Order: sequence, then structure tokens, then C-alpha cells
Amino acid sequence: MVILEVNNLKVYFPIKAGIFNRTVNHIKAVDDVSFSIEQGKTYGLVGESGSGKTTTGRAVMGLENITAGTIIFDGKDITKKQSKTKDVRRNIQMIFQDPYSSLNPRKRVKDIIAEPLRNFENLSKQEEKKRVQELLELVGLSPESILKYPHEFSGGQRQRIGIARAIALKPKLIIADEPVSALDVSVQAQVLNFMRDIQKELGLTYIFISHDLGIVKHMCDDIAIMYKGRYVEQGTKEEIFNYPQHIYTKRLVSAIPDTEPGNREKRFKFRQDIQKEFEESYDDYFDSDGLAYSLKPVSDTHLVALPEKG
Amino acid sequence: MWKFIVRRMLTTFPQLILLSVIIFLMAQAMPGDALTGLVDPNVDRAAIEEQREKLGLNDPWHIKYADWVSGLLQGDLGQSFRYKMDVTDLIEQRLINTFWLAVATLLFTYIIALPLGILSGRYNDTLLDSSITGYTYIGFATPLFIFALVMLWVFGYQLQWFPTGGSVAPGLEAGSMDYILSKVNHLLLPALSMALIQTVSTVQYLRSEIVDTKQKEFVVTARAKGASETRVYNRHIFRNSLLPIAAYFSYEITLLITGTIFVERIFSYPGMGQLFLDSIVQRDFSVVTAVVLLFGLAAILGALVSDIILSIIDPRIRIK
Amino acid sequence: MEINQMNMDKQSQNLTKSPSSFRILWRELVRDKLALISLLFLIIIGIFVYGSSLILDQSEIVKVDLFAINEPPSEEFILGTDYGGRDVFGQLIIGTRNSISIGLIVTLLSGMIGVTFGLTAGYFGGHVDNVLMRILDFFQVLPFTMLVIVFVAIVPNYSILAFSLIFTAFSWMSIARVIRSKALQEKELDYVQASRTLGTSHPKIIFREMMPNVSSLIIVTMTLNLASNIGLESGLSFLGFGFPESTPSLGTLLSYATNPQTLEHRWWIWVPAAVMILVLMLAVRNVGEALRRATDARQRRG
Repeated sequence: MVILEVNNLKVYFPIKAGIFNRTVNHIKAVDDVSFSIEQGKTYGLVGESGSGKTTTGRAVMGLENITAGTIIFDGKDITKKQSKTKDVRRNIQMIFQDPYSSLNPRKRVKDIIAEPLRNFENLSKQEEKKRVQELLELVGLSPESILKYPHEFSGGQRQRIGIARAIALKPKLIIADEPVSALDVSVQAQVLNFMRDIQKELGLTYIFISHDLGIVKHMCDDIAIMYKGRYVEQGTKEEIFNYPQHIYTKRLVSAIPDTEPGNREKRFKFRQDIQKEFEESYDDYFDSDGLAYSLKPVSDTHLVALPEKG
Repeated sequence: MWKFIVRRMLTTFPQLILLSVIIFLMAQAMPGDALTGLVDPNVDRAAIEEQREKLGLNDPWHIKYADWVSGLLQGDLGQSFRYKMDVTDLIEQRLINTFWLAVATLLFTYIIALPLGILSGRYNDTLLDSSITGYTYIGFATPLFIFALVMLWVFGYQLQWFPTGGSVAPGLEAGSMDYILSKVNHLLLPALSMALIQTVSTVQYLRSEIVDTKQKEFVVTARAKGASETRVYNRHIFRNSLLPIAAYFSYEITLLITGTIFVERIFSYPGMGQLFLDSIVQRDFSVVTAVVLLFGLAAILGALVSDIILSIIDPRIRIK
Repeated sequence: MEINQMNMDKQSQNLTKSPSSFRILWRELVRDKLALISLLFLIIIGIFVYGSSLILDQSEIVKVDLFAINEPPSEEFILGTDYGGRDVFGQLIIGTRNSISIGLIVTLLSGMIGVTFGLTAGYFGGHVDNVLMRILDFFQVLPFTMLVIVFVAIVPNYSILAFSLIFTAFSWMSIARVIRSKALQEKELDYVQASRTLGTSHPKIIFREMMPNVSSLIIVTMTLNLASNIGLESGLSFLGFGFPESTPSLGTLLSYATNPQTLEHRWWIWVPAAVMILVLMLAVRNVGEALRRATDARQRRG
């Protein structure tokens, strides 16, 4: 079942100038992006910084003004801000990149995790406390820590608190915006595995935004590659990693480090070949503005941005 | 830059309109109107009512406002019922007195601020700097009127160096050398009192500006190239630090407006501030309205000038 | 998972508790000797003035006694009497109390308006910020003293409450500006965005999420404002447009000095009030400056 459908999403930021502050131009942060996600799956959005992946996530979340396009969630059109009813709001939640700034330093863990509960559910003090403790336990933190402040936790623990807050309302869709990039590598795996565990347990759907292909490979079922606000390639994990079609994707995939030392020479040669191909065929893959073309299907699930034949 | 100036001027218009509306409403709220003072109490009520109707005093407010504004634009500020003369004429002499007081104060302000700020910034964290900073710290916490009272008490009454009131000694012929000297003499103490208090923010600003600039790359580069210390200060630091002071101009104007009210009262100096206070006490509200309007105008235009100077000097603020 | 959890609990115990910002403010205040003395002084003055004004009879003090006009300090009147034969020392105490009270009231009221205004402008940003800032610019450019005087003169049923309201109406701008620029930075932090995604309403985000995080700045700005408000009030009373003469403030005592005779020959009437205003303002400022240093980690002394 499709839970989220995004059609021709555009998010433009105006550039203002002149005496009357008229809009003279736009930055096209997200330019004509479409995708759909099946319930229970993890959809990966990959791209370098400034590619529009975070803006896409924030637009779905309702944190950005949408210039054009539609967003259908669970059969309902939620493009307009007013159409985000309480019911919709509680079903889409977000995990933030920075576990330090995303928790209010002046609030106790109890109040942080209970914030969504207080907004949507009328619980008594006792029930609320019980729920918060359950959530803490679920994310692997001691239920006794409800009276602590965020600064008393490590980065990984803080991110777990952020996750506990996001899953408190049992949402259907969670947008995870680089959830582990601010964490130490040793803690990243912990948090990622934990995210997969609760996904199974609660039947969550993720939009997983990341610039790290290795992590995306580990987490995602379907993957989209973004570049300068446009999709470059979209497909299942196997398609993207085993049969990348676009040169930009190929470069990204070739850049994933290999842990097998014996393959070092081979990988190096491979990367050099890709780099050579990239330099030679850049014009075949990008238009005169350096942007990707519109997507053409290669198979049922695999789409690539290639110019018209000819 | 031109874009910024034009845009900044455009925002001045709503400010001026808002100011005029506020002052108009204030004038409406004041008890009495043009007839209260003029009309003989023996005239019967019906005649007064007829007169009111003729003068448009019973019109709806927006028509009254339009009349008032068109009067203003022609320089008609109404009649003072106390002095039985046009407010415009009444204000003229006072305005000149206050203008010279303001000029003298600004002059003193900068004469004091520049050397103190520069010395304090150049030799920061020395004994000299600490004493200057101490002065600014206390100056900040001292209300002008207390300082002015003390100045008057010490230099006016105890030492008798300066006259204790008025704007000119009586019996001197206008325009003569003695007359001008006497005027200057009467100006000195009030202007100095104001300047000594008002200057502290400029001193402080200049000091921190210089201390900041001292550590900037281009100053370090200049030193590294072997420029002499004096040259570094004159050519690089001083010039870069002096300019942002323009930002304080509008602030100085606001301080001046408040300052003149206190200082003119304390030194019995016949200027706008004194006129304002007298008129309030005597309920001569057409004069009050005129004075507030003029001072409000001065403040708004002061802010405009200050922003424009700043935009010429500092390209960064033009962006927004 | 079990082992993991134990590890993490250990970790969190090892992390030292970083001090809360109120504790930092307090610690800085205690380290700064001048500020500490100032604070103690303010506390003592406060207790003395509020305590003794419970005993003193205000109507007795402001009662005109024509047989004891302008007497110099003596045993009966520690600081002499004024032109109405009223005890200057008693007036000084009541005046100090009134000046502090009105300073506190105006600072709190204007603080409330300013903080709300600044947080709203900063949180919403964009057009809302633009419009609010234009309003603020306009208010700030207006000649404060003149307008307060005019309003004091024309308001019917003039009372202390009316005075505080008029005063407040023209003195909320500086704190609004300070809080707004802080709020502009604060709202970019993820916790504000997070609250939005969690369905928290705008007013709740502004007052429950953001306000606690700018609280130390609010305290500092309000302390510094208190000093200047005491000065402004005494200035207005000095001109005769603050407190009515039946409720003396420190400025009322100073206004007697507009009479050249009093200024020149009867120092006991106005000098104590002048000194009191100066000392009060300096003391409050010292405390405020110490607090300001505490909020700026680079300037902290300890």
C-alpha cells in the first residue's frame, strides 16, 4: 500500500532585490520531484549538501512553503498548510540531524518526550509518566532518567530521546534527516540498528535523508539520488548499487570505501575509469545549465535522468 | 546605495504621517480649542456655537485632520491663546536659541569624545584607559538633570564663572560684539553639561571600535609591512573607527531633544524646551502641539540622515 | 540491548553536570566584588526603606508646617525641612520607596510587552518581523520625554497607575529589540522546528520553548532597564510630570532645587536625593553589568 505520494513537488526560494523588494529570481531548491513510498519501507534520499534532499523532507513535513505540486498522505491531499489537520500532523514525525540543538536544553527529558503527548492526547499525570517511561525503555534508556536534562546525556543517547519523542504518537511516517551524521561512527551503527528494530516493531515507514551511501545501503529499500534540486536516478537498492545508469550515481557508488584490503588496486582502477568517463561524458548527462534531465524509465522501478534519444 | 537611500526615504513617509496623526489625536484630546481662549465669556452660547460651526470645529475628525495638515504645510501652526500671537512667530526666537544650544552641545560632544575614545582605545587596559572607562561608566548612570544641577551649583553659584540663567545679558544691543559674546557665555554651561553626559556613549563606542579594529588583519598587515605606529593609527585604525560614529547621530538627536527640556529648565534658558514646559503648565496646547511636532520631525529626519550617512560609509547595511 | 543500556547509564554518570544558567549568573555576581556590594546595598536599602515606611506616616510627612520652613538639619529633623516645613529625611525615605516601586513596576510592564513583541517578531520572522520592526522603529524615534509629559498633562483622572501605563507605553522598545535579535537566532535551532513538527501551537512555542532559553538575557536587560527607569522617573518628577507632590519621589525633592534660593543655600533639601538617585542607579547598573558579563562567556571573570 502506498502511504505517501509526492507529485511534481517544487520548492522555490525567492531572491528579492530592488527598491520595492520585488522577487527577481528564484533558487530552485526542489525542482519537479515525484516519488511514492510503500508502507513499512525505507526510502532513501541521497545527495550532496545543497541538493535539496532536506528541503524535500521539510516540505513533506510542512516546514517549507510549497511552490507547486501535490503531496498525498494516506489518501489525503496535504499539500496546503491548512490541510494538515491534527490527524495528519500526528502521523508524520521527524528525527533531526543535530541531537544537540533539537532538544530544548531547558526542559527535562520527561517534558521533552511528553510534548507530543500533551498536544494530542489527554493523559493524566500518571498515565503520561508511564508512557514516557515505556518510550524511554523502548529506545534503550533507563526509565529513571526522566528528570534529567539533555546535557546530561551523550550524543547517541540524545538522538534516542529524539527518536522516542518522534515515535511517541505512533506515527505512520518518520522523516529522518541525517539522523546519525552528527554522531560518532561507533554510535552510528547502534542508532541505525535500533531504528530498524523499532521500524519492524511499530510498522514505521521512513524517509531516510543522508549523504552517506554506505548507511543508505544498510538502511533503505528504495533510493533516490538528488542533484541540484532534481532527481538523477531512482530505483531499488539493488538497481542503484549494482546497475547505476547515470554517471553521477556511478561516481557516488564508486566512492564507497571497500573494507577488503585485497581489492585496493582494483577499486582504485575502477574509480579512475569512472572519473575519466565522467569528464568525457559530462555533457551527455547534464543540460547546458548543469542540471539533470527529466527521468526516463529503464525498468518498472528504475528511473534515470537521461536526455531524449538522439 | 541609491536604492537604499530611496527605500529608506520611502519608509520615512509613513513615519511622518503616523507622527502627524498621533499629534493630531493628541491635540484633539487636549482640553479646549481655538475658541476657548479667544471668545469673550460674555458672548452668549448660541453665538459661540455658530462661530464653532463656521470655523469647522464641529466637522468630523478626518476633515479636521485634512484642514490641520494643509495648514501645517502652509506653515500655519495655529494661535497661542496665551500670547495672542501666531505660534509660528512665537516659536521663531526660541527655535534659534535651541538651535545654537544644540550645535554647541554637538560640538562639545565630539570634541570630548574623539580624544577620549581614541586614547582609551589605543592604550587600552592602561591606567589612562581605566580612568576614561570609569568616567563613561559613571556618566552612563548619571541622569542629566542631576549633573546639570550640580554644574549650575558649582560653576554658576559657588564659583560664579558663568551666568546662572537666560540666553543673553539684558541691555545689550542685538548684533553687537558684546551681545554675541554674552550669548556664547550663556550657552557654555548648559551645552557643556549636556555634552559631558551625552558624550559617554560615543566615547565607549569609539573605544570598542578601535580595540576591535586593532586586531583586524589589515592592521596586522600594515604593521608587518613596517608602517610606523602613528601611521597605522592615523591611516588605518582611526579612519575605520571614526566612520561608524555616524550611526550614533540619530541617537544624539534623540538625546538632545530630551536634554534641552531638562537643561533649559535648569538654566532658565529661553528655548523650545522651556517653551514646551511653560505651555503645558499654562495649558496653551496649540503651542505644545507645535513644539512636539517640530521635535518629532527633527527626530525622524535625524534618523534618516544618520541611516543615509551610514549607508554611504558602510556597504554592509545596504543589503537589507 | 541490556548490556548496551548499562554501558550508556555508566556513560551518563561520568558526564559532569554542567551548571544551569541561573547558577552561572549567580556565581558571576558573587565573584564580582563591586556587584556583590551593590547587591547587598540594594537589599539593605530595600529593607530599610520598605520597612521604615510601614512605620512612617506618609500624610504626616507631607503635611505643611508653616512654623518650620526651610530649617537646616537639626536633632528634630535629621535632614532639615523644605519650603513647606516638611521633614526632608522622611520624604527621602518615602521618595526612595516610591521611586524604586515605580521603577520596578514600569520595568516589569515594559519587559512583558517588550519580550512578547521581540519574541513574536523573531519567531515568525519575514513579513511579521518587518511590520513589527517598522512599528518599533517609529516608537523609538519619538521624543519619549515630551510625549510622556503631554500625556501626563492631558490624561483625565491622573494617578500613579496612569503614570506607569504612560511611562510603559513609551519604554518597551529597547528590550524588544534585544530580545528580537536573540529570538531570530534561537528559532533557527532544531528544537523550535521540532516543536512545530510535534504539533505545538505558536504561542506555546514562543513562551514555553523559546522564552526559557532567552531568560538570562531578559533578566540582564531588565536589570539595566531598571536603572535607567529610576533615572527617567525621577527626571519626570523633577520637571513636575511624574508623581504628584502628595506622593513624593526622589525627583520631587530635586525639583525644589529649581528655586535658585534652594539650590544655592539649602543643600540639605536636594543633595541627599541627588546622591540617593546616583547611588541607586549605579548599584543597579553594577549588578546588571555583572549579570551581562555572566551571559557572555568570553567576558566571564571566573
